[in-house]
Amino acid sequence: MSSTLGVLSDAERLFIVHGVQDDLRSDGRACEDYRHVQVETDVVSNTSGSARLRLGNTDILVGVKAEMGEPDPGRPKEGKLEFFVDCSANASPEFEGRGGEELAIEVSNALQRIFNSRSTLDLTALCIIPEGQCWVLYVDVLVLECGGNLFDAVSLAVKAALFNTRIPTVVVTADDEGQQEIELSDDPYDVKRLDVDNVPLIVTLSKIGHRHVVDASWEEELCSLARLTVGVTQKGTIAGLNKEGSGSLDPESIYEMIESGKKVGMVLNSRLKEALEKEENSKREKIGFLG
Amino acid sequence: MKEVPMSTCEREFILKAIRDRKRIDGRQTYDYRRLKVSFGMERGCCIVDLGDTKVLAQVSGKIEEPKKNRPTEGSIIINLELSPMASPAFEPGRPTESGIEMNRILERNIRDSRAVDTESLCIVAGEKVWSIRADVHVLNDEGNIMDAASIAAITALSHFRRPDVSVMGEEVTVHSPEDRDPVPLSVHHMPVCVTFAFFDQGEFLLVDPNRSEERVMDGRMVVGMNMHREICTLMMSGGMLLVKEQVLRCSQIATVKVAEIIELIQRALDKDAQARQAGEKCGFAESVPTNKITTNRKEATAIDTTAAAQQASQVIQEAGPVDKPMSNMLVQAPGTVQIGEGLVNTWDVDDEDMESEEKEGREKSVTNGREAVATSKPTERKRPVKAGEGTVSHAEGSDSEEEETVMLFQGDDETKSTEEPDSTALMQPSNSDKPAKKKGKKKKAAQK
Amino acid sequence: MAGLEIISDQGYRIDGRRSSELRKVCARMGVFTQADGSAYIEQGNTKALATVYGPHEVRKGRGKIQHDRAVVNCQFSMATFSTGERKSRPKGDRRSQEMSMHLRQTFEAVIVTELFPRSQIDIYVQILQADGGNYCACVNAATLAVIDAGIPMKDYVCACTAGFIQDSPLLDISYVEESAGAPFLTVAMMPKSEQIVLLEMNSRLHADNMEKVLDLATQGCKDVFAVLDRHVRDHVSESHALMTAS
Repeated sequence: MSSTLGVLSDAERLFIVHGVQDDLRSDGRACEDYRHVQVETDVVSNTSGSARLRLGNTDILVGVKAEMGEPDPGRPKEGKLEFFVDCSANASPEFEGRGGEELAIEVSNALQRIFNSRSTLDLTALCIIPEGQCWVLYVDVLVLECGGNLFDAVSLAVKAALFNTRIPTVVVTADDEGQQEIELSDDPYDVKRLDVDNVPLIVTLSKIGHRHVVDASWEEELCSLARLTVGVTQKGTIAGLNKEGSGSLDPESIYEMIESGKKVGMVLNSRLKEALEKEENSKREKIGFLG
Repeated sequence: MKEVPMSTCEREFILKAIRDRKRIDGRQTYDYRRLKVSFGMERGCCIVDLGDTKVLAQVSGKIEEPKKNRPTEGSIIINLELSPMASPAFEPGRPTESGIEMNRILERNIRDSRAVDTESLCIVAGEKVWSIRADVHVLNDEGNIMDAASIAAITALSHFRRPDVSVMGEEVTVHSPEDRDPVPLSVHHMPVCVTFAFFDQGEFLLVDPNRSEERVMDGRMVVGMNMHREICTLMMSGGMLLVKEQVLRCSQIATVKVAEIIELIQRALDKDAQARQAGEKCGFAESVPTNKITTNRKEATAIDTTAAAQQASQVIQEAGPVDKPMSNMLVQAPGTVQIGEGLVNTWDVDDEDMESEEKEGREKSVTNGREAVATSKPTERKRPVKAGEGTVSHAEGSDSEEEETVMLFQGDDETKSTEEPDSTALMQPSNSDKPAKKKGKKKKAAQK
Repeated sequence: MAGLEIISDQGYRIDGRRSSELRKVCARMGVFTQADGSAYIEQGNTKALATVYGPHEVRKGRGKIQHDRAVVNCQFSMATFSTGERKSRPKGDRRSQEMSMHLRQTFEAVIVTELFPRSQIDIYVQILQADGGNYCACVNAATLAVIDAGIPMKDYVCACTAGFIQDSPLLDISYVEESAGAPFLTVAMMPKSEQIVLLEMNSRLHADNMEKVLDLATQGCKDVFAVLDRHVRDHVSESHALMTAS
């Protein structure tokens, strides 16, 4: 995955590895520190919910569109969530045409994995008519700039966008002929919100040398031998685990990495929630990309 | 396959001609090539010949479900195929950028300008509508596919008849052509594209560029217009910069051209309708004229030679008095005259030197004249060696100096010696005057 | 759209503008740090993002190298959530390919490519929200991005749409007005020399009205140029102030 983003000289590599050994990274952070995160919701107007997130140099824009559709035959009383990731050519000339598809599929699969479990999001709230109609949420992720740690940024942005999603309330009335009619309320404030408290966030831990770091920049990603992506919820439960990279990991180090991932993940979750609530209450003028 | 690149000479020639307001095929700047529209046996099939550019359009209809957001409208699909049959530059498979652009222009011209009424294509709202598809195939590309394709598409759509459909409550019956006459599509207007080619950053413009003019042009503008002077589509691109006045001028020219073209299309449609009604045979086989050679028939074009005649008379007048004719003329052969004997050889080569060189040449038996004389002085190359002992003779019939085959004979002195005086007489003029050398050899070949 | 008047009796359009008023234009240069040049523009509700990479070595396809000039490569893509109805294919369909080609032709005519032989300039444009005038927003954003990247151009390229509804020409068509089926003309031009780089027209327009609409579009382009120019000058003086202050 990281091969798409440039090359690193041996001297630089050594510099980074040695720095990490001493708990000092190139930009001055400690091994478990995140870069500065900026999040803003409701940036795109013709979506049901949207969010823009900037994590260091990584820029992600997520739009959620709610449309009515038929539920899965195996889960008739639940709504659906569909993910689509588009790596824009803005991020790198190599994503032009179909170049970004591989990376997009990886990210999309990671998202599917963490949202797979029942306890993540209450999909029964999205049901309109059991076995008839339900809300299908199309979550579209647009990767605008890639400066390392794509998975974390994407999951943060998706959580923020889902927090921001407003689904119009529906009233189901029975027609004269027994047909059910669905009425959407026109009031923009009569909306349903999703409960995203249990949505996990992905924390990527990269193994560099003998230690591991959280939120690797793209130079650090190129030095890492193996990566562990952990989905962590607010309460500290693990929602998904995946090991990537060609290097091998010792079971001990895996355990250590999971522990530190849990710690970091819980903090991340609570901070994000604070920030989102503050933003919603603040009524500030939307800046979007202009700021 | 890549196209054969155009040479700079050809490019410059065409550009210069255009700057002098002349076109290679003799047309005026606003003239179209000969336009011929013919129809096939089936309804909706039409071939358009614009000069040598040949385009075939075929219209077909199918009953389908309508789009969700437009339940009472049928659909029109226009598909342009640039097959390798038209030109080796077209590759099979994915369409090129220019192919996509032309397809989009055709679509916009006919579909977005609502030339054909889509509401009348509806059978049962929300369930069944007609989906009309026009496939345009380019059979030969000799420039200006755009115009030919647009003419073909709209003519085919006007020519097409779809089966009649009757709706009785819930039942829909599609009548076969024998049952009820097929119904024409409702064509509101006929939009036709006119292509303008620009040269020299918009200073010169031509209508209906042919293949070579297209390759030399800076950029082009396509104006789609109908009889009512409404512009249906306008597309200018190709990295060229234009001013507003040029755009307006083009639209005025287009008005005139479109009127002519639509008249021609109407006539062709009427003729075909009459022929079908009278029960005459119609179709491509009939439209091919009999008793005529079908390949490369060129129309006679009047060429204005007054300018050339004037120039010729001017040249004659300006030419000085002719010198008195030479007295010592020797007629060598019909059409060839020798005047004088030329000058003495100034190449400073003695006979003795030539003999020694010849010995060296003989030691290597070579067939390539160039190699043999490489050992000798370079001046010798163009000069056949004459010597007493052996002779070096040229291969007969070979005019090219480089490909001379030098054969070394031995013991042929007697036979050859008789020819020597001949060769000496001939060789002298050719020695002094290089351009005349070839003539010298030709003379010899002719004599032999 | 029956019952919705494009122009009310008092001469106001649906969004409250007069017939020859542009939508509000907000722009920002240097949005991304990793690209050589980037810009973001908002024209009313249409939002476009452009990035420029280059000039760099020609990467894919050695056949594209030109010995005397740079190759300009453009890609146009619309985000899936940009339109009212979700778009399933962000790029690769015919309309996007056509737009990419037009962008490329536009910028090939304007960028001084002779200064960079054997190299490639990439221009990528992304539409984040589509509300009419997509191509124009792309061209304007790309102009700013090319300026941000420091690539020399002959002049700015500004684009604007003008339509003709109910016998009066309108400037800067929004999506609602576009879908009402009226003809509209898209013009991309170089404002100082008034030379048209690209001209595209949809639907039917009578030839007599052509001049009026073209004039209005030209005026619109000049107005857009005024806004962009002021913005670029502000941006440059700001950056200069930051650099000299430290």
